[in-house]
Amino acid sequence: MTALTIDRINKRYGNLHILKDISIPIAKGEFVSLLGPSGCGKTTTLRCIAGFERPDDGSILFGNRDVTRTLPEQRDIGMVFQSYALFPHMTVAENLSFGLEVRKVSVPDRQKRIADVLAMVRLEGYDKRFPRELSGGQQQRVALARALVIEPSVLLLDEPLANLDATLRDEMRFFIRDLQQRVGITSIYVTHDQAEAMVMSDKIVVMSAGTISQFGSPREIYERPASQSVAGFIGRSNTISGKIAEALGQDSYKVDTPCGSIGTTGPAGLAKGAEVKIMIRPENIHTRKQCVGAGQKQEAGSGEAGKDENVLAGAVVNSVYQGSANQLAVKLASGDRVTVDVNGRNPLDVGEQVALRFAASDTWLLAS
Amino acid sequence: MTGASCGVEKTIWDRLFTSLVAAIYIFLMFPIVLVVLLSFNSGEFLAFPLEGFSLRWFEALFSNKRFLDATLYSIQIAAVSTIVNGVIGTLAAIYVARYAKVARDFMRLIMTAPLLVPEILTAIALLFYFYEIRIGTDYSIGIQIGHIVVTFPYVFLNVSSALFNFDRSQEEAARSLGASGWMTFRRVTLPAIKPGIITGCLFAFVISFDIFNISLLLKSLGKNTLPLELFDYLRFNFDPTAAAIASLSIFMTFTAILIIDRTVGLRSLRF
Repeated sequence: MTALTIDRINKRYGNLHILKDISIPIAKGEFVSLLGPSGCGKTTTLRCIAGFERPDDGSILFGNRDVTRTLPEQRDIGMVFQSYALFPHMTVAENLSFGLEVRKVSVPDRQKRIADVLAMVRLEGYDKRFPRELSGGQQQRVALARALVIEPSVLLLDEPLANLDATLRDEMRFFIRDLQQRVGITSIYVTHDQAEAMVMSDKIVVMSAGTISQFGSPREIYERPASQSVAGFIGRSNTISGKIAEALGQDSYKVDTPCGSIGTTGPAGLAKGAEVKIMIRPENIHTRKQCVGAGQKQEAGSGEAGKDENVLAGAVVNSVYQGSANQLAVKLASGDRVTVDVNGRNPLDVGEQVALRFAASDTWLLAS
Repeated sequence: MTGASCGVEKTIWDRLFTSLVAAIYIFLMFPIVLVVLLSFNSGEFLAFPLEGFSLRWFEALFSNKRFLDATLYSIQIAAVSTIVNGVIGTLAAIYVARYAKVARDFMRLIMTAPLLVPEILTAIALLFYFYEIRIGTDYSIGIQIGHIVVTFPYVFLNVSSALFNFDRSQEEAARSLGASGWMTFRRVTLPAIKPGIITGCLFAFVISFDIFNISLLLKSLGKNTLPLELFDYLRFNFDPTAAAIASLSIFMTFTAILIIDRTVGLRSLRF
């Protein structure tokens, strides 16, 4: 069942077309992230859902209820802001009580719900404090509690972790995700941090320039990106240009590249001769010291490579120690540079010849 | 900052700077201290050396009906100016900060014009205007409007700065929690800008109590504000009653500053 439907909304400011036909269906209890660089329209989308902006056309439905033309206070939403937006002149308890008073909840009921939600965000005993007496992380938890205590039908989060330091941010990601799953509330989360979106979301909406680049699970978006910009935005990626030589199956292709023929996986329906880019993630490439250059055919019978494995030869041009791994830059025979992660304990020196091996199933074709 | 003045050790420049600041404070405070001292002088004239301690000039002040009437009149005008500006200055600041779109900077300039235009020009302009629209200066309405106009920018600027420093997402948070626009204003916005309103109102009161030019030109028949009465008095007398009045004025100003500090803190005066 869809808890929230965004149906072809558009938003323009003067000549700027901020949102172009945005449609997102969100199931009940789902955690959906809107991800993209600043100015991509993710915050505007969230503000349309909240009612702070009104789309020029299209509609927004909460369940079956059309809320497109209603005011924010009529929508039954809970919202968490980047700046926390706690009321500074009210104590924690008064902040939490605000939404309940508006809803005319009785005093004993109010007190019980405030105590419950404070326990949920692990801030028991903080009810008499003022926001300025709390740390950033605590303030954010109060903001979360304030949004949840009214038991809204949708929880909206606008970059809530952007103002926290890195360690706390990591902790809060899991805290929010865990809380969201316990409460089972439908949530929409705006962020420009792809790692945050990856670990927290059921679904990610990747946006750029007012359109949706891709809508799918974190796994789909990471492993099967719809375009080069999505691949580039989510994690690190390498691309090698080529042309489709033949289709081997419904989603597997042989691609001719300047470094030789490469077995790949890609979306169905790519025509022979089409220009494509082969995407490979750095962690899916394995390296081996090598004295002679080698192509796929040469290695095929050696036993080191399985039948869907590709082998490319290259030279190490740069090596950066990163603790858990060494990041190598390898120059291929074609001149393309490829980034590879290798185990930090087996460093390869600059100038060494290496063989790069990767499975066809770890590649993905992007139309170019 | 140059490297020399950043060090732990005090350089000659630090000492010079400290002395300069001290000198400025002395220059500003000296006349005030002098006037207060003179008001307690038992001598007949507004002059040094002091002859002895006495409260006789305060007694003279409070037994002088003209001065008492003038003080009450000044307080009345200042109070009305404060209340009226507390409302319209706040509303104007909200309008300019929130709703003015194209002409915002121009409007802000217009709103602060009474502060930028010499007071005497404002007074002359208002005088012509009042006669033109037949309000004249027979009643207190003219001088009252004059005081409101001149003290308006103090409320406007203080509330504007409070609004500027206010995080609007608090209002959105209130709306998301189900509060109507009015309730959001009353329970979230108003408490946030309250320090600006209080500070602006106290400024308006003190300035209105103090101004001379506007009152001189726009005063109504037979009624003097305290500064005008003082001016009249000093033209023919030179005894320390004048100093006593000045002390009273200073006392009121200090009271206002004390109220600001106790209620909202002087920190809110930082822009």
